[in-house]
Amino acid sequence: MGNYYDELFKLCGFEDEEIKKERHRIEASFERLGIGPEDMDTADSWVRQNHDVSLEGVRKLLGAWLKELIDLVLAKDEGKKIVYFGFPAIIGPGLMLSASSEEVFVSAPDMVLDHTMGQIFNKLTPILEAGETNGLPQGHALCSLWQAKIGGIAKGMIPVPDLALASSYYCDMGSKADDLVNALYGVPIAYIDGVMDSKWGEYPKYLPERVHYLGAQINQALEKAEKILNIKIATDAWERSQKDSGPFRANLVKLVELMRADPVPISICELELLEALSGSSTGRGIREGIKAMEILLIELEKRVKAGMGVTKKGAPRVMVRLGHTSDPRVTRLIEDVGLAVPLTFILGSWGGVKVKPKGNYNTPGEVIADYEMTGGYYYGTEAQIKFYEKAIELMKLDGFIAQYLYNCRPVATISHAQKKYLEEKTGLPVLALEIDNFDSRAYSAASLRTKVETFAEMLKAKKQH
Amino acid sequence: MKALEKLDSHLKTRLPDLNKAKEGHKIIGYSAGGYLPEELVLACDAIPICFIQAGNNAILRDAGAYICRWFDPFWRSQIGYLTSGKDPYYNIVDLIVVPITDNHVRAFSNTLGYYTPEVESFVFGVPHVKDKIALDYYLKGINRLKKKLEDFTGIEITDYRLKQSIKLCNRERELFREISLMRKSDDFAVDSKDFVALNHGSFIADKEIMIDILELFIQEIKDSSPLPKDDPRILFTGSTLVRGDSKVMGIIEDSSGAIVMEEFAEGIRPYWGKVKTDGYLMANLAESYFMDRICPGWFRPGTERLNYLVKLAKEYNTAGLIWYQLMYRESYKVESYFFPGILKKETGLPMLVLESEYDAMETGPMKTRIETFIETIRR
Repeated sequence: MGNYYDELFKLCGFEDEEIKKERHRIEASFERLGIGPEDMDTADSWVRQNHDVSLEGVRKLLGAWLKELIDLVLAKDEGKKIVYFGFPAIIGPGLMLSASSEEVFVSAPDMVLDHTMGQIFNKLTPILEAGETNGLPQGHALCSLWQAKIGGIAKGMIPVPDLALASSYYCDMGSKADDLVNALYGVPIAYIDGVMDSKWGEYPKYLPERVHYLGAQINQALEKAEKILNIKIATDAWERSQKDSGPFRANLVKLVELMRADPVPISICELELLEALSGSSTGRGIREGIKAMEILLIELEKRVKAGMGVTKKGAPRVMVRLGHTSDPRVTRLIEDVGLAVPLTFILGSWGGVKVKPKGNYNTPGEVIADYEMTGGYYYGTEAQIKFYEKAIELMKLDGFIAQYLYNCRPVATISHAQKKYLEEKTGLPVLALEIDNFDSRAYSAASLRTKVETFAEMLKAKKQH
Repeated sequence: MKALEKLDSHLKTRLPDLNKAKEGHKIIGYSAGGYLPEELVLACDAIPICFIQAGNNAILRDAGAYICRWFDPFWRSQIGYLTSGKDPYYNIVDLIVVPITDNHVRAFSNTLGYYTPEVESFVFGVPHVKDKIALDYYLKGINRLKKKLEDFTGIEITDYRLKQSIKLCNRERELFREISLMRKSDDFAVDSKDFVALNHGSFIADKEIMIDILELFIQEIKDSSPLPKDDPRILFTGSTLVRGDSKVMGIIEDSSGAIVMEEFAEGIRPYWGKVKTDGYLMANLAESYFMDRICPGWFRPGTERLNYLVKLAKEYNTAGLIWYQLMYRESYKVESYFFPGILKKETGLPMLVLESEYDAMETGPMKTRIETFIETIRR
């Protein structure tokens, strides 16, 4: 016998059998999340409004996020040892923990809440408000992902973790908010520290001590995790985790190829669903995401062959940093004003432009650290900006919408320099757009439209002449 | 007081004096935070100058051309001064050294590297955790700095030279410590404003002259009458208290509060440490500047500093704590949420949290809040 949520779950790619099998878990998690029959109409229309559900791959991606949500909410009840990490984060240590024990659940819970309570149920605001009243008040440019995480815990929606992996190599706020979780709930923390101290002009070079230090910190955090979680990290955990997530990366490369098409076959809102999954889940979400991508790639190949796309053929093509994690309307507005988005920072970094790691490192921590230095994201501001510059070798572009997140200091460092640098180096126009990428209450689609619309008109005029 | 007059007079001629000194010495500018061992600069016969001017909201408009608003106003001020040249000390230095602590400092370092490439600079990182591998990283950083300074000045930093400069800096720290400790007593004559002025002056002044000034100050204080005993004793803490940012201290004083201890990461010299002068001197510097020093709020966990504040609150017999943070310095903002509970539990003391963006408009509300707080703890 069906239930009130069946249609929504089918819309989100669940098969009948899956719903039947998961029914008990769905209901238990919904109870914890405060989701009931009265929420279904909103959720149904919200999903249809924001996502291209004509694509099965998209529906399955939404389903992957829902599965991650259910696993997250019930992890404690199901006897899992829970590890939270922040977003963005060096995912390697989380993948290794996940690969070492089936008893361990490792996730970025804020991203899961954003993509489900935000993108599917449109019920994120009360969670953010709970974060604001539990140590992260509004009006101070504090991270809204952290507000979601603290809010989710405070409301009892998501469990208190057994361990926090703190991304002390990147985000000051995140590590300090881990201290807040420790102060409020006594959660032990494994800090992974690093220092972004390369001098401007050095990228892609970096001192070996940056790798040694970050690598040693990763190794140390893994040792601490072993003790706290009472597990043994398998000697081949790194290789296994790479093997497990390998298909995801391979599919991203294929996706980059498809995104070269004109018109662009898929919206950035759908791309965001899969890009974010790779940095948020280490378990079922990512495995389901890989399956969803495979379906999606076939669908997109058909679209490309048929000349179908989400914007008009010949539309100006812009690279953006990333899509909104909780409110796709903010991202969609870029396409609504007639701009095609064939490339994002994440798609480019996973599926495209590469700087080779130096190699010659032996410990898992150093191997991961070396890889991340070349990736650019955790190297520093210069690398992030140069990554945009390199992207024009990967994809024909007419401009950049280089968002910077006002409440994320590591990203906000690029606010002005990226526009000057990219315009000088590439000759392409750049819109530096200040946003909150995780919370649309202050930086809504409506508030951003004027800026993006004007930029789009300028690009269209430029393209015609 | 003659000591303060002497400091004032020395600072008035400091810029022309530095201009003359440039003929034979390099001037090394460095950013605030207390992680640059001045000993290294002095050991190669160069002159250290720390950039600690801020408090003027107008300079933030200059910074707005280079960085968005959402950074600590002290570091945006440094961006404004660097790019506009409105702080003359930025114009006089030969090399700028930036010990990178958090992302606010990194915003400054990026501006320095990208927008003013003509200014020679050197950066090294300060880890955010305290352990053996972090200490090694810091030591590697200051060893790179040593090499840079030797190349830049053409003077080898020998053990002998380094030991002499360590002794000089130890003496300065010792004098600051002596002055600060006087305030544990009920009968103390050290006005916090004077102590802070000495601190700020020490970042710019000639080291030997500064030591003379501190010695004179101690002599004068010993002969001075104690300050009024009735004013509530206040522990004043936060991220940054620099030259030109006197608004909050002024209001506290006007409200008859007596600051007996200032604990700030930027703008107050870490004076509790003493660098050892035997063995491997570079390791001694790292040990003292990185491991022994009480960490700022952007270290994780922040427990060491918070425990230290509890200890200071007790040892200095304070009636309350005023926590003064700058806008958008998230490490301090987050701690300010859960620390009052710890302080209350451990000492029974209340805490007032103030935030500033160096805006004159803040004065009225701050005055009301500070007056109310002091009236409350007076009872």
